[in-house]
Amino acid sequence: MTLASLIERSQKNSEAWKYTSLAALAKVPYQSNIEGYGMLRASAKPLGKEQPHYLVFINGVWQKDQSQFADLPSGFIEGDTVHGYRLKLAGQTCLVTAPVELIFINAPEKQALEVTTKIHIELGCSGRLTLMERHESQSEHPVAHMVETTIELASQAKLVHGKIAGPFAAAHLATTEVSVAEGAYYDNFTLLCGGKLVRNEVNVTLSNELAQCVLNGVMLAQGDDHIDTTTCMKHAAPNCSSREVYKSVITDKARAVFKGKILVEKAAQKSDGHQLCRALLLSDQAEMDAKPELEIYADDVKCSHGCSVGDLDADALFYLRARGLSEAQARALLVRGFIDEIVDEIRVDDWRQYCRQRIEEWLNDCV
Amino acid sequence: MLKIRNLHAAIDGREILKGLDLTVKAGEVHALMGPNGSGKSTLSYVLAGRQGYEVTQGSVLFNDQNLLEMKPEERAVAGIFLAFQYPVEIPGVSNMNFLKSSLNAVRTARGESTFDAMQMLKLLRSKAKQLGMTEDMMKRAVNVGFSGGEKKRNEVLQMAVLEPALCILDETDSGLDIDALKIVADGVNALRSPSRAMLVITHYQRLLNYIQPDHVHVLVQGKIQRSGGPRLALELEAKGYADFIPDAA
Repeated sequence: MTLASLIERSQKNSEAWKYTSLAALAKVPYQSNIEGYGMLRASAKPLGKEQPHYLVFINGVWQKDQSQFADLPSGFIEGDTVHGYRLKLAGQTCLVTAPVELIFINAPEKQALEVTTKIHIELGCSGRLTLMERHESQSEHPVAHMVETTIELASQAKLVHGKIAGPFAAAHLATTEVSVAEGAYYDNFTLLCGGKLVRNEVNVTLSNELAQCVLNGVMLAQGDDHIDTTTCMKHAAPNCSSREVYKSVITDKARAVFKGKILVEKAAQKSDGHQLCRALLLSDQAEMDAKPELEIYADDVKCSHGCSVGDLDADALFYLRARGLSEAQARALLVRGFIDEIVDEIRVDDWRQYCRQRIEEWLNDCV
Repeated sequence: MLKIRNLHAAIDGREILKGLDLTVKAGEVHALMGPNGSGKSTLSYVLAGRQGYEVTQGSVLFNDQNLLEMKPEERAVAGIFLAFQYPVEIPGVSNMNFLKSSLNAVRTARGESTFDAMQMLKLLRSKAKQLGMTEDMMKRAVNVGFSGGEKKRNEVLQMAVLEPALCILDETDSGLDIDALKIVADGVNALRSPSRAMLVITHYQRLLNYIQPDHVHVLVQGKIQRSGGPRLALELEAKGYADFIPDAA
């Protein structure tokens, strides 16, 4: 999808884009066809010292020579920037134990650039894969990056999918459509570290019995950042379960949005779906827009949503200061604790440490 | 060490402390007893520097420094420790990490080197063992899921780690069964030293069977009505506070 068509679509569907406007993007002459596009060198290093598999994309174009994928099953990655890329573990019980890192770099270009990346991920029956996605901008000129990801998990497959993105000087607009088959499991953790205009949309369909999904995320917004997480969890079959926890820390004049829907179809009896959204506002002008929604057509389900927005707990702040921590230290420790409840659940060590490091940098800047 | 003169303090414009005088010297243990609403906890919060408590008159000197001008963290690193009546739960922050941040803040202020994670673990292991606390409790989030007794033990553990000059124990006995009370009292007694003072705030004489005070004060209606030796606590236990209520007397 081009940026222009996305802007048009967002204007037509005002409910889905209630809190986020793309109008400002229309004012910048983003170019989609620049000569030598994506051929620039940008520094892209994997996180883990011994990261065995990683794929580097610069301005949306896969850099075969900078990637390391020899040990992955043949045909793991195919495609090109026009048709999109396909990552596939085919056949029965095909599994890759070490995480595969996807590194997306927006490299310096001479003018405002529009990039679309399409990725399709497919896991066969009982396939196992851990994907770690990292988006960074090294460009001073604005880049509007649209990432369209589709994921298909066959029965009993398991995908652990992490994403760290930002900060972005311009726009990061991502949609992830996931279909989870019988007994399959999709686990997504997303850390959004700021950006002028960030929207991360995750739509999951639990399409067959006993499918499970966990969505966790952290949004960190400062300055005039605008970060939007929009999710839709569709329970389309009986006995499926889903969990969502999103936490935001917002300061200065920044704004974060959480719009999350749990949709339980008539056939999806015994659905078990829970959603929680919590936000800390660290300044008077910070803003959080939260819209949790439950839409339930089945009559025997356990579903809930919770939402809280507030300042740091004054009692906890005093307790820490009474133990010698300065106000700044106490605030940082409380914010870190607030986020850590989610970060602790990341099971890939390198990834968890990297998240912590990024959060730490953000806290040093902002709290 | 601590000199309180004619202290008046108010919350939301309502005067709670009405001219309190108290002097505590190094090495002494003072018990402050009084009925509900007499101002015991207000005094402890005023000394620790909690917001919302307005001092309208009087002075508090701690080692000749004007305590009332100091921030809560400045008081803490100067050596004042308040063991909270209701220790606060802090989700997501491990007890270990909290204690390390706290100890390092205090050590830095004293001009001592900071502790790394290994040194901290070693220190905590020995101190926690004395209080019957498990290593698991060090890894858990601060006070989250702790029982009443565990929270109070955690307060005493912090006190043992930080080695403050003045310990203020605000109703540390409340909510404790007799076994927990003994463990907590043993922990406190282990910290008695000629260079350290303690102010033990309590409703009941029971705690004073375990922590023997040098001086006992009766706080009623925001003022110390009477001071005496340990026997005063026994007298209170027998007669109640009625005799000390000025209007009734």
